Amino acid sequence: MLQATNLTKSYGDIEALKGLDMTVEGGDIYCLLGANGAGKTTTISLFLNFIEPDGGTASVCGLDVTREPLETKKLLAYIPEQVMLYGNLTALENLRYFAQLGGHDYSQEEYREFLHRVGLQSEAMDRRVKTYSKGMRQKVGVAIALAKQARALLLDEPTAGLDPKASNEFSELLLKLKADGAAILMATHDLFRAKETGTRIGIMREGRLVDELSTDEVSHADVEKIYLQHMHAGGHYAQEGAGSA
Amino acid sequence: MKRIIISHETRQLFRSGAFRSLLVLIAGAIAFAAWSGQRSIDRQVEGANAAIAFEDSRRGRMRADTERYEAQVLAEGGEYQFASARHAPGAGPPQGTNAGAVGAETSKYLTMPATGLASFSIGQSDIQLNYVPVSMNPTMNITRNNELENPVNLMTGAFDIAFVVIFLLPIFVLAISYDLLSSEKERGTLAMILAHPISLRELMASKIIARAGVLLAGVLLLGLLALFAVGANLGSTDTWARFGLWMSATLVYTLFWFAMSVLVNVYGKNSAANGIALAGTWLALVVVVPTLVSLLATTIYPAPSRMELTTAAREAQTAAEKNYMARLDEYYYDHLEFVPEGDERAMDFLTVAMSNRNAIDKAVRPLYDEFQAQLNRQESLVQRFQFISPAIMMQLALNEISGTSADRYEHFLGQVYAFHEEWGEYFTVRFLQRYPLKPADYDQFPAFEYREEPFGTVLMRLLPSLLGMLVLLFGAILIPFLTLRRYQVATS
Repeated sequence: MLQATNLTKSYGDIEALKGLDMTVEGGDIYCLLGANGAGKTTTISLFLNFIEPDGGTASVCGLDVTREPLETKKLLAYIPEQVMLYGNLTALENLRYFAQLGGHDYSQEEYREFLHRVGLQSEAMDRRVKTYSKGMRQKVGVAIALAKQARALLLDEPTAGLDPKASNEFSELLLKLKADGAAILMATHDLFRAKETGTRIGIMREGRLVDELSTDEVSHADVEKIYLQHMHAGGHYAQEGAGSA
Repeated sequence: MKRIIISHETRQLFRSGAFRSLLVLIAGAIAFAAWSGQRSIDRQVEGANAAIAFEDSRRGRMRADTERYEAQVLAEGGEYQFASARHAPGAGPPQGTNAGAVGAETSKYLTMPATGLASFSIGQSDIQLNYVPVSMNPTMNITRNNELENPVNLMTGAFDIAFVVIFLLPIFVLAISYDLLSSEKERGTLAMILAHPISLRELMASKIIARAGVLLAGVLLLGLLALFAVGANLGSTDTWARFGLWMSATLVYTLFWFAMSVLVNVYGKNSAANGIALAGTWLALVVVVPTLVSLLATTIYPAPSRMELTTAAREAQTAAEKNYMARLDEYYYDHLEFVPEGDERAMDFLTVAMSNRNAIDKAVRPLYDEFQAQLNRQESLVQRFQFISPAIMMQLALNEISGTSADRYEHFLGQVYAFHEEWGEYFTVRFLQRYPLKPADYDQFPAFEYREEPFGTVLMRLLPSLLGMLVLLFGAILIPFLTLRRYQVATS
């Protein structure tokens, strides 16, 4: 579903990605772990064709994102760290606009149903989203992904800053999407959630994927141990990571 | 796909209070400009009508006198004579019988009719008066404007629709588009949108179409309302052809400013930087460059001051009066056919005055010709330099479209000069031949009718300005079109 082949990207002198190979299949929740600057956001931006790779390919359902940018974006949904919406529009209006941008159109009831499925209260749907908390906006982001009928989801630290309850609700939504067969790639710092909701974990360091784990084969403690081992193996990384973050 | 963005953007625009007040502001500005432009055209028409009425009534009185005189001659018998120095003051034939008196002491006012769109761009009409007096006198009166004009008005120019379109409309355009992409980027919605199957070009184009559509629909509609409100010559196809040209020029000029917004936005700077860059562009293209070009024109080709002209005319007059007898000889030497019989030559004051006028004309004419030539050189320099600023091109285009351009005025003056010759000749010949003017002759005085230029000539003169603006527009569109690929959607 989501596939990176020898993907490289540099910003000036800084090599952000050094030949990344990875695959996320439908029904997978692939959690990318790594310090800031490890290349997680770069990977997601490359899949979205927001930036052009220096080498290698990123493909969605077999389509190269640089050759078929519009086709691949029909298959993708993107939930950034902050789902940014039009503050002066209601959640329903925002959802309708983004769904239409994705080439879909639904009835008013169906839009309400999407928002209902992600757990937004009915009375909130007609409120302008500038009054929304981050958790509510992230839910609208998921509703947009649902309305778009996305085959693959790209999430960039979507739960950062959410309270544990909201974070848990968000994870529940991901599990539903996974059950529907979507391929989910999520960059996160939350080792606990990664083990809890993820099916696979990839650990990145300095632009390389240094390890891959299946979550059902390791315990919470293992995840943390392995992660820290990789971080320490970098030795000099602590300073470098802080510098480029 | 695009339609969704266009309607979304349009809705967003109308939800913004700033945009709504901007629309009200534009409507107010155009309404005031239409009123103010029309007022200055009305003042000219009133001035022309008053002058014509005054001169007509003077000639009318003269004619009435000749009618009474003719009746008297018929009743009492005797010869129908013309008034001259031989008759005692207050007795004998009235002045109206003397072609020299009628020709020299009354003027014929010639008017250049205002086009249906004149109030849209009144141009230089405050100094290029659209009605000029013609008499037997030398030409010097033609270019003299005796209208009293508020000097502040002359300095700032008029508040007409052209001013609103050239100066204010770009500000409105930039106000609603300076942060076209940067605001979406800063709000974070750009990444949300571009995660959908929308290209940056498509997004940009749709956002521009929404803004340009609303603004232009408003401005063109207001222009149409202004046309109806000023009660211009709505039945004439010329008016509608000119209005069509006005709409096209306004469209191109407005789109140019939208293109400037796009151009600045593709460099990916933040909204504040974009705003400053665009404000600077406006200042340079609309204020600084036109001022510099005008300064250049008046520095390279300084026009002699009107004071100099007046002084030269006075000197020539004094010189002429000093030796009018010699001049009179010289005059009759040139015009042997007019030498009267008998010995009334030296007695005839009007003949002397006539020769004086000719002498003054001869002395002053080169100065006036030079004055006019300098103005023409200034004008053609501005024509050549117009291509560096869309504001100059637009001003020239709007003057041309409104029929207030220097070239149309020149065309009118050409006819005025020709008519001046014809009018002067008519009275000079009859005067020098001592022909007594009869009431019926008053109907035979040369008549003036302004011949409008062919529309094709207007179009040809309009072409450089319009094409220049189109080239600038396409340039401003092409650059972002080619560089948009490199736009950074996400910051590293």
